[in-house]
Amino acid sequence: MRVVVILGRVLDPGGITVNRRVGRIFINREKYILQPADRCALEAALRIKDSADCSNPTDAEVIALPRGPLPDDDVLRQALATGADRAVYLVGSPAQADDAVMARVLAATVEQLGGADLVLTGATTLDTGQSQLGPRLAEALGWPQIVDAWAVRAAGERVEVVCQNKTGYVIHDADLPAVVTVTPGSLKPRYPDGVRLVNVYKGVGEIAAALEQWEVADLVDAEFLKPLLEQRGRDFPPMRERGARASGTVDEMAQAAADALYRRVSR
Amino acid sequence: MDTSYLDLLMAQQEEVAEEATGGGGVWVVADVADGAVASVTLEAIGTARTLADSLGAYVYGVLLGEGITDLAPTLYQAGADGVRVADHPALAQLALEPYQKVLADLFEAEQPEVVIFGATAQGQELAPRLAQALGGGLIEHVTAVSLDESTRTVQAAFPIYGGEYFEIVACPEARPQFLTIEPDAFPAPFIDSYRKGEPTLLDVEPVAPSVRVVGEAEGFEPPVVPLAQAPVIVAAGRQAGDLELVKQLATALDGRVAGDRGARDAGWIEAEQIVDVRGVTVAPEVYVAVGIRGDTFHNAAIEEAQFILAIHPDPDAPIFEMADLCLEAEPQEIVPVLLELLG
Repeated sequence: MRVVVILGRVLDPGGITVNRRVGRIFINREKYILQPADRCALEAALRIKDSADCSNPTDAEVIALPRGPLPDDDVLRQALATGADRAVYLVGSPAQADDAVMARVLAATVEQLGGADLVLTGATTLDTGQSQLGPRLAEALGWPQIVDAWAVRAAGERVEVVCQNKTGYVIHDADLPAVVTVTPGSLKPRYPDGVRLVNVYKGVGEIAAALEQWEVADLVDAEFLKPLLEQRGRDFPPMRERGARASGTVDEMAQAAADALYRRVSR
Repeated sequence: MDTSYLDLLMAQQEEVAEEATGGGGVWVVADVADGAVASVTLEAIGTARTLADSLGAYVYGVLLGEGITDLAPTLYQAGADGVRVADHPALAQLALEPYQKVLADLFEAEQPEVVIFGATAQGQELAPRLAQALGGGLIEHVTAVSLDESTRTVQAAFPIYGGEYFEIVACPEARPQFLTIEPDAFPAPFIDSYRKGEPTLLDVEPVAPSVRVVGEAEGFEPPVVPLAQAPVIVAAGRQAGDLELVKQLATALDGRVAGDRGARDAGWIEAEQIVDVRGVTVAPEVYVAVGIRGDTFHNAAIEEAQFILAIHPDPDAPIFEMADLCLEAEPQEIVPVLLELLG
């Protein structure tokens, strides 16, 4: 079984401050972390590899690919250290590549790899909240998709996925190959292995050879690399006004609180 | 005054006549929940109406499901100029392939300029696949739109880091422009009960869905979210009086129970539930402080919360300087009323 997992990075929200008054974003500490949902997808992929159904190591292979243009391959090194078997760093992805472009590039990469049984990625990104990469990739590959998975089990020709609906958790199943997007916080991710981590950064041993570099230009024609979306600016919410007091009787105050809570919690 | 005459006159004026167009238009794919059109769809039609009026285009609604033809008048009343209905047993449940086939065929023929979905399970599933299949751009979780009229391009804002700021993005060349709009982000349109029209029924070619629902996931337990990442926290302080009320409020809001150091001293909570810079620093969407006075350490630990509701009897309690909504009242009095209102 070959599982491809698509990983991206995000600026750690703890390191940025947004000043609404001046409408600026200050980056106090430029630190990138693996997208939380992608981290869960990696964990899901490694659990499939660990599972009894894939006990033959030659059968179980986890390949990490980047979600977007990465200026360095830190994310993929982390994936290798955590347990991925191979990682392909896509050199020359256009800097502004959006999900439509990346879906094409990744579909071509999966084909170049000789196909896969399962593609896993995060259901949503921490920063932009966009969830389109997984379904777009599924369309580009012409595969079925299951979005927002809480647990993934792949065996034989089928994948079983636990999804949440209005009443609880249900099991969906589809034939392989398929694309599954994993909900952030759904699985407890494992830590990278210390020895692998050192080796992958030092470029020592087998693991260092597992990080490959492929040219995007060899995979997709340049005409398909033009992003569809362009940024037109930023908008900042109004300054937060603290200290607003509810007035009136206890009933009126409770009503004001209930209205405020209902608006925020009902989603 | 003869109001029946006025009614008749208005009804005649508001009869919607859909004209044959050479493609284009702003399309809304309706979400149907519990046999009714979802409110996000009505908001989407209101938004589509505003965009279409500036573009000089028509607004079309698409209804998919089984036994949903009766819902078409609601879309007309909300502002649609035309409604397409795909009513078929194969569409009874949301399933990717049957829904995608109907919509892809329809959009292939009609060449829409803009297609709006609700940012719901249906929109999340269908919009990206259709966008990729038709070569369109997609902006998800949109909370505001404006129009670049010279290029007929929709500029849409969506939240970054859960609303810290908004990115404004446009899709200048590729058509259709797909959007999924956040529920409650746009105003509900005026429902004009005199507006009516005749929906067009679409032929449905049943396609087998590739994903099957096997059944309930029995015994599945999602992992426990650490307090620091919980989206809703109800915290107790010494003035809360009764921890049971706090627990009930947490259950009603589907949130986690926590407290300040005073609550720990009272033996109400465990050490790992203390919200304090020396304990757990939190950043929930909603933080309810029940009877917490709010010392420096506690207030610093809740600074990142998006909305803080504080309940305390003392008008000078420092927590009130932090809170977005302050209730000067005894928690024992107001929390039961609040619980009743939250149902």
